Amino acid sequence: MSAAPDVAAWRARVPGAFGAGPRGRVLAGLGWLGFLLWLGWALWHFDVSPQRLWNGLAGLATILRLMVPPSPGELWVDILQGLAESVAMAFLGTFIAAVIAVPLGFLGAGNVVTNTLFRFSLRRVFDGFRGIDQLIWALAFVRAVGLGPLAGVLAIATADVAVLAKLNAEAIENAERRQVEGITAAGGGFLARLRFGVLPQVLPVMLAQALYFFESNTRSAAILGVVGAGGIGLQISERIRVRHWDEVAFIILLMVATVAAIDWLSARLRRRLIGG
Amino acid sequence: MGLRQVAALEQDVAAWMGARGMLELRGLTRRFGATVAVDHVDLDVPAGQMVGIIGRSGAGKSTLLRMINRLETPSSGQILSGGRDVTALEGRGLREWRRDCAMVFQQFNLVQRLDVLTNVLIGRLAWQRGWRSLMVLVGARFTAEERAMALAALDRFGLAETALQRAETLSGGQQQRVALCRALLQQPRLVLADEPIASLDPRNAQLVMDALRDVNRHDGLTVLVNLHHLDTARQYCDRIVAMQAGRIVFDGTPAALTPERVRAVYGITEQEFAAEAEARRRAAEPAPVTLAVA
Repeated sequence: MSAAPDVAAWRARVPGAFGAGPRGRVLAGLGWLGFLLWLGWALWHFDVSPQRLWNGLAGLATILRLMVPPSPGELWVDILQGLAESVAMAFLGTFIAAVIAVPLGFLGAGNVVTNTLFRFSLRRVFDGFRGIDQLIWALAFVRAVGLGPLAGVLAIATADVAVLAKLNAEAIENAERRQVEGITAAGGGFLARLRFGVLPQVLPVMLAQALYFFESNTRSAAILGVVGAGGIGLQISERIRVRHWDEVAFIILLMVATVAAIDWLSARLRRRLIGG
Repeated sequence: MGLRQVAALEQDVAAWMGARGMLELRGLTRRFGATVAVDHVDLDVPAGQMVGIIGRSGAGKSTLLRMINRLETPSSGQILSGGRDVTALEGRGLREWRRDCAMVFQQFNLVQRLDVLTNVLIGRLAWQRGWRSLMVLVGARFTAEERAMALAALDRFGLAETALQRAETLSGGQQQRVALCRALLQQPRLVLADEPIASLDPRNAQLVMDALRDVNRHDGLTVLVNLHHLDTARQYCDRIVAMQAGRIVFDGTPAALTPERVRAVYGITEQEFAAEAEARRRAAEPAPVTLAVA
């Protein structure tokens, strides 16, 4: 390398290597301007001001002060019952969703169902269901089957079945073809291929996903209670209404401990299922 | 009908099959787009023979074997067995044909998460009929008799101790012998081995080849084995078929495949052929998991 590199010649040959041109810079500037305008409009529209944020922080501090020390209160039996109800809701809902999602996953997997139109439609139905949040389902089921844990169970099951079915379908599509081919070559039929070739490969993944959903649903079961779908959420919302923040803090701590316990347990189960 | 009568009948059928030709390929061709993987192959294999199919990679050996098991559909030509057209089979008939010609793969194709015993029992699936074949989705699928049969097969190759381990915990050589046990439980008439030793070290390769010869000699099964080591083919096979660019370019006894013949057929010396095969084996050793079997 003796002579200086020929900048102009290289710029002509590979313009992209020298950064964006003037046109690109203008476009990028306009993009940023648009983004900042949208951000400013949103802040103005929601009436966000430092004053309000500061007052809010003060309010939060008051709540935090009221939370210390956490106390089980007098109705601690109700709290424990609510918590058990929430865990049961999450378990039942996830269980129902996981069971239904297994056949749906197979139907949605491209390497099992070769009818593209059917599979495509089914996948779009999954997508549609995923677009509706658990809370909406809970509100609907509270109207349909009345207040209580049943509405919560149904809401969890309906919201999760589509997500689990999609995840299952993807796991099935990732199953290794050669292992299935071994069954085919031995004269195994369609069902035998699914049962012995695909299922052993995907079952641990399916179970691990269901366990994760169970843990996550235990957390969201608290919200479902607020809209009347039973469980610990009802206990929380009642205590917030009468400003018993020390009891709310107690419930929150209890929930954190429960979720941590479930997480620990399911992590152990997952390891056993997936590891040799 | 008693068991003895069934056995006698099976022997009659076998004799008849032998007379009619265990396997006849007529103008068998397979195209992938513009390339012709197997090009008008004609081959007659009598019962009880151990045939080594040799060739460099891409010669069409795998496609040929996979077509016989119908894992690949022929583009044209016919596969006949005992005068029966195998190319036209579907449904139950096809599954029974696949049962009769057991396949052994280069990458073993065992279900890694199932235990060794269940992998071997998969060889029984094609024997299950009616409600039992539907029962695969629930409950116990295999009888105690079948389980004992599987254990005996494993024991024959010194693997009985591993029966309850997951297949993935076994070495390549062990997995290939498990795959052979699965093939034997199909009670086949024909064993198709597609590069069975290409992913194995020399010692395991020898064990697997010995096992294949054993089922040929003692169980009287016809064996078609794809190899890319000439020496192995010469050592183990009664007959060698050499392929090049989808065609059969040599068909005769091991003695007839002289170094001069190899040179004439492949345009390279036997040493070069062996070096190429060795390079392929080394490349294949840490078996890539998602590699498609072409």
